[in-house]
Amino acid sequence: MLKIFVGFVIFAALAIFVIMQGGDSLDMGGEKHGADAVHAPAEAASDAASDASAAK
Amino acid sequence: MATLDIDRPMSAEEKKVIFASSLGTVFEWYDFYLYGSLAAIIAKQFFSGLDEGSAFIFALLAFAAGFIVRPFGAIFFGRLGDMIGRKYTFLVTILIMGLSTFIVGILPNYASIGVAAPVILICLRLLQGLALGGEYGGAATYVAEHAPHDKRGAYTSWIQTTATLGLFLSLMVILGTRSAIGEEAFAEWGWRVPFIVSIALLAVSVYIRLSMNESPAFQKMKSEGKTSKAPLTESFGQWKNLKVVILALIGLTAGQAVVWYSGQFYALFFLTQSLKVDGATANILVAVSLLIGTPFFIVFGSLSDKIGRKPIIMLGCLLAVLTYFPVFEALTKAANPDLYAAQQKNKVVVTADAAECSFQFNPTGTVKFTSSCDIAKQVLASSSVSYENAVGPAGTPATIKIGETEIVSYTSKGLPADEAKAKAAEFKKAVADALKEAGYPAKADPAKVDKVKITIILTYLVILVTMVYGPIAAMLVEMFPTRIRYTSMSLPYHIGNGWFGGLLPTTAFAIVAQTGNMYNGLWYPIIIAGMTFVIGMIFVRETKDVDIYADD
Repeated sequence: MLKIFVGFVIFAALAIFVIMQGGDSLDMGGEKHGADAVHAPAEAASDAASDASAAK
Repeated sequence: MATLDIDRPMSAEEKKVIFASSLGTVFEWYDFYLYGSLAAIIAKQFFSGLDEGSAFIFALLAFAAGFIVRPFGAIFFGRLGDMIGRKYTFLVTILIMGLSTFIVGILPNYASIGVAAPVILICLRLLQGLALGGEYGGAATYVAEHAPHDKRGAYTSWIQTTATLGLFLSLMVILGTRSAIGEEAFAEWGWRVPFIVSIALLAVSVYIRLSMNESPAFQKMKSEGKTSKAPLTESFGQWKNLKVVILALIGLTAGQAVVWYSGQFYALFFLTQSLKVDGATANILVAVSLLIGTPFFIVFGSLSDKIGRKPIIMLGCLLAVLTYFPVFEALTKAANPDLYAAQQKNKVVVTADAAECSFQFNPTGTVKFTSSCDIAKQVLASSSVSYENAVGPAGTPATIKIGETEIVSYTSKGLPADEAKAKAAEFKKAVADALKEAGYPAKADPAKVDKVKITIILTYLVILVTMVYGPIAAMLVEMFPTRIRYTSMSLPYHIGNGWFGGLLPTTAFAIVAQTGNMYNGLWYPIIIAGMTFVIGMIFVRETKDVDIYADD
């Protein structure tokens, strides 16, 4: 159990680091359905991932 | 099979069973988040060349892939799992899921092969949806049938933690790739990498699953020739079992799903879209709360072995019903106090011909709301403005009154695209200016965002999720006999989570736009969780002491 706990703490720290690096270019809103899944926003695609979720 | 050896530690074989089963659900979540984070890029690569009519059809198909086919996958693979075995069935589901994900990574885009690209992509998504429908039930059944009698809650709760793992894994791979090759190359071809590397996850999963034994309960049943010849008829054609399936849906999984979606996805949506907190801050706060909350899946799963599944799940639903309104209001005060103050101070009124106003429920995103009333309400709802509704004279366009300023809305029906766009921009600007004057902030002020308080509130919401979700796999498994377990438990799980949970964002938005209060979207999870609480308390039996092999 201790090993799992230590592993989880390391994983958590790494995850937070990654998300801090990602800023608002990451979208944690999950899979998009319907029109959200097929319409690309006008902005540069890589920057617009979070905008896509806004349409939901 | 079941043992009553309560205190012995988990054996190496049992650990392997849990690990192998959980890997499949990691896949499920990895995919779920990839298609979220990369939605804009995928849309650009595969759908940008389509005309409006084709885009409409593909939007419906994408919706079907996300929502409609999963319960059918649950029925199809559940039936297989009850007839030929758990091991081979969920080996097939993971192969379909994994290979489909990998193929997306190497699929030529619209520019290369034209309309075949989106057609193949949608086919792959449909296949993934079908496989997903069979994956969770298989994993839960397989683990539960290997677990000791008194530890089914603890053992199956490990599967429930994989949502967090899948989320962070997808983010790490996406960001790692993006950092390594740069933004431009990522948008061009690097987005394929997260899909392609999933082949490694698949290889490990298949290798481990191949080395596993069939569930002992199923093996015994098969050797005695007692497996079901018609699991679908037995599950859904006989009232005795169908009744339990329906109860599992409305008395358990529906409430569990809305609490889960509210705690994780709607909270994030509310923070960024309603409270206008910047995406980076909202992501970190949600991630921290998820990480703090994740161990509670195990805590509540294990606790359910001692005090029962039902009290924990029902308490989670009840707390959601009782606390969502004050908790989300507290979230507003902590994240955007200026917005809260403006809402208290200023009265906004929409006056419209009632015949012009529709309930803006748009799950596929394909319906265009063009009346002046719908447009006015959409703009206000997306600006997090609480407003009152007043009935206007028939045939007149809707108006928005903000303080002393009155803005007349417009109808976009029949307008050429350019003109409609210009009108929309003009109208939004007029509303935004009036709101600004009335003290409505365009964004949450970073200096006033109380991050500690927000994290505490979000963690509370995640803990409610762990209460309803931690023990659910064990409870579903225990509700059905071995011969039809896979089929019977998969369907209520996927209807509950796919339909009741998946429709939460769009339903909540429609309610907010209809009623004019940004908290009213919470009525949807509150009513569903309340229904589950009442039905569950009255009709669903506690299952922790059930001998799941009694009818074998």
